[in-house]
Amino acid sequence: MIGFEMTATLSGLLIGMVCGLVPLIVGIRTHTLKPGIMGFVACTFSGFACGFLGGIPMILLATAVVISHAYIDREDPFTSRASIDEVSFEESWQDFALRKLAGLGRTVRASTHALVRNKAGFLGFLGLLFFFLMTVFGPSFIEYDGSAHLERRQPGARSLFQGPSAEFPLGLDWQGRDVLSHIVYGGRTLILTSVEAGIITTIIAVLLGSMAALLGGVVDQLLSAASNFILTIPQFPLLLVLASLVNFDSPIYLALLFAALGWPALMRAVRAQVLSLRERDYVQAAVALDLGLPHIISREVLPNMISYIVVNMIFSIRAAMYSLVGLMFLGMVPLREPDWGMMIFMGRQQGALFNTAAASMLLSPILAIALFQLSLVLFTRSLEEIFNPRLRSGV
Amino acid sequence: MTPLVELRHVNRTFKKGRTPIPVLQDINLAVAPNEILCLVGESGCGKTTTGKIMAGLLDASSGEMLYEGRSLVAYRGQARADARRALQIVHQDPFASLNPAHTIGQILSYPLKRHNMVQGRAAVRRRIWELLTLVDLTPPGDIVNKFPHQLSGGQRQRVSIARALTVEPRLIVADEAVSMVDVSIRISLLKMLHRLRDELNVAIVFITHDLALAKYFAWEGRIAVMYLGRVVEIGATANVIGHPAHPYTRALIAAIPEADPELTRNKQRMKLRSEDIPSLTQIPPGCSFHPRCPFFVPGVCDTRVPPLENAPGFSQDVACIPLTSGMGLQEWAPVEDMVADGP
Ligand SMILES: Nc1ncnc2c1ncn2[C@@H]1O[C@H](COP(=O)(O)OP(=O)(O)OP(=O)(O)O)[C@@H](O)[C@H]1O
Ligand SMILES: [Mg+2]
Repeated sequence: MIGFEMTATLSGLLIGMVCGLVPLIVGIRTHTLKPGIMGFVACTFSGFACGFLGGIPMILLATAVVISHAYIDREDPFTSRASIDEVSFEESWQDFALRKLAGLGRTVRASTHALVRNKAGFLGFLGLLFFFLMTVFGPSFIEYDGSAHLERRQPGARSLFQGPSAEFPLGLDWQGRDVLSHIVYGGRTLILTSVEAGIITTIIAVLLGSMAALLGGVVDQLLSAASNFILTIPQFPLLLVLASLVNFDSPIYLALLFAALGWPALMRAVRAQVLSLRERDYVQAAVALDLGLPHIISREVLPNMISYIVVNMIFSIRAAMYSLVGLMFLGMVPLREPDWGMMIFMGRQQGALFNTAAASMLLSPILAIALFQLSLVLFTRSLEEIFNPRLRSGV
Repeated sequence: MTPLVELRHVNRTFKKGRTPIPVLQDINLAVAPNEILCLVGESGCGKTTTGKIMAGLLDASSGEMLYEGRSLVAYRGQARADARRALQIVHQDPFASLNPAHTIGQILSYPLKRHNMVQGRAAVRRRIWELLTLVDLTPPGDIVNKFPHQLSGGQRQRVSIARALTVEPRLIVADEAVSMVDVSIRISLLKMLHRLRDELNVAIVFITHDLALAKYFAWEGRIAVMYLGRVVEIGATANVIGHPAHPYTRALIAAIPEADPELTRNKQRMKLRSEDIPSLTQIPPGCSFHPRCPFFVPGVCDTRVPPLENAPGFSQDVACIPLTSGMGLQEWAPVEDMVADGP
């Protein structure tokens, strides 16, 4: 869904390199070699990771950045200081496209600057990048190890658990399997399910929240009542009960269940935001200018909520991951191995809590989850800067 | 000549919980094409509400808002859209009136494109250039690609005005449009509004709580003084300022700092009987100013709502029964005595 499903493949690498030719050639033609090469690298990388899905959008972004570098010296008639009679406002389609691309490129560059500028946020970004690389590229280097390394068994040891060693950096689990390979392979389902849950939660919350705010009346009352009702239910016990009743053979059902229980808090926040944005002077001005409801929602209201929405989506992802791990720890979700949550559950079942040799096996998934969560939270700092035009342009 | 916009017996209530609060009561105002009308009054007297109704942004609870002699609700289809667009508003807060997510160029281009004010991309850019020049934001090239937060308060207010001008309005309601910008910028903004009115043939409803500002801006126009949701005095600025009729107007003029010699000359010692403005939920019966009025006549002022009409000896209309019924000035006790043996 978001690239996690894909693993690095050779064809992906090829796709990425072909995509990368576009910014590279544009860079060579416009004598902006450095951005061109960087664009090539970016395209290759994202094509490698996600195939067409990553390569093609990256062509646009990278080319835009290259053009924004090249366009700087170009004279935009608009920015000249001449009087109106001396300025030509006519613009060919090519010039128009170039100007628009350069604008996009500048936004991309400003966003990367904003991303790097906030130290905490950048750290979070690096953390997420690490998990992304590990999940996507890790399998190319580390094979999944499902067999027991019985030969490693120490004489007289009561279990197959083992601490870190040169051959197995994170030790062995209760069946004598490599923990590192489980960490590399075990994040995918957990992360994917949490991200899906977070996205679905946010979509529901934003739709219902803006509906409640804009339509008001009965709709508003019904939605508020529903959200109040769901908010008063103790969520985790309900999840437990549902998880034991329903057989979740696919993670998407779990994601939907989390979303069904998770939307009310965000929906109320969105409703309040839309209500307050609706009264802003610039929205009133748009009404007086008769710019139409679609324009008002998409251009006046949403852009000023997007940072709020995205940050809350991150928090929803976090919450979903906690619930998911909690359910797995209690053994309520029959997800298949390898999985970080299953590692914790199985470790506890197999007596890892009372075995010093099992410490690395138990701590590794816990640390992975904690680090992922921390990265998410830190990353929101950068997101706030990226989506805020004031912070983005650095004034 | 038919007025451009006219409010007829307009009332407006807002609900606070269950209780309706009468914010405007029986407002009658007409604005002629190309006229300047100033609304003055204390905070909370309903100036903004009146302005919003005139700009078509708010409906009256009862009464009528007429545009070119026809009720605004009677317009249909394209005529209605045209009427809506002919009425624009410029807000007080330059920091809230522009969307922080768009550049100035985008802000100005949306209405131009939406309403096909000009044809084609080049024409849109040309028009943006013209508009920015019109509101003295030169050179326009330095402004178009900036975001609102990169401009000063005065510059933003100019952008707001340019945005209102994109749709070629007939009326601009300027709601405290200069009160939040630096004093040094104010005069140039006001001069610009004057110039726009002359060049573009728009009428301007200028809302302010500052009588000195009103006098400066609307010297050739009219002033309407509002108190607790009613118009208490209306007339040519020179008359209202030079020869104020309503006790409330006199009190306002008396409260102006000494800087303006012309206003100071007309001052008389005014001592209100009470400094408190009554709450809108408990509007006093009769003339709503009577509990504070130093010229209060028991049995007259607190029984009947005074109509807004011409008073003998004045050329403006005033809502004050002792004045309009010709009871005359001499019957009113001097301020000092009122305080001494007041009720
Ligand atoms: N949307 C609303 N809901 C409830 N009450 C409102 C609303 N808008 C205005 N009011 C009330 O109406 C009264 C008049 O408000 P208005 O904004 O018209 O006053 P104003 O003369 O413009 O004051 P100011 O000088 O402070 O801007 C105030 O008491 C205000 O609280
Ligand atoms: Mg106001």
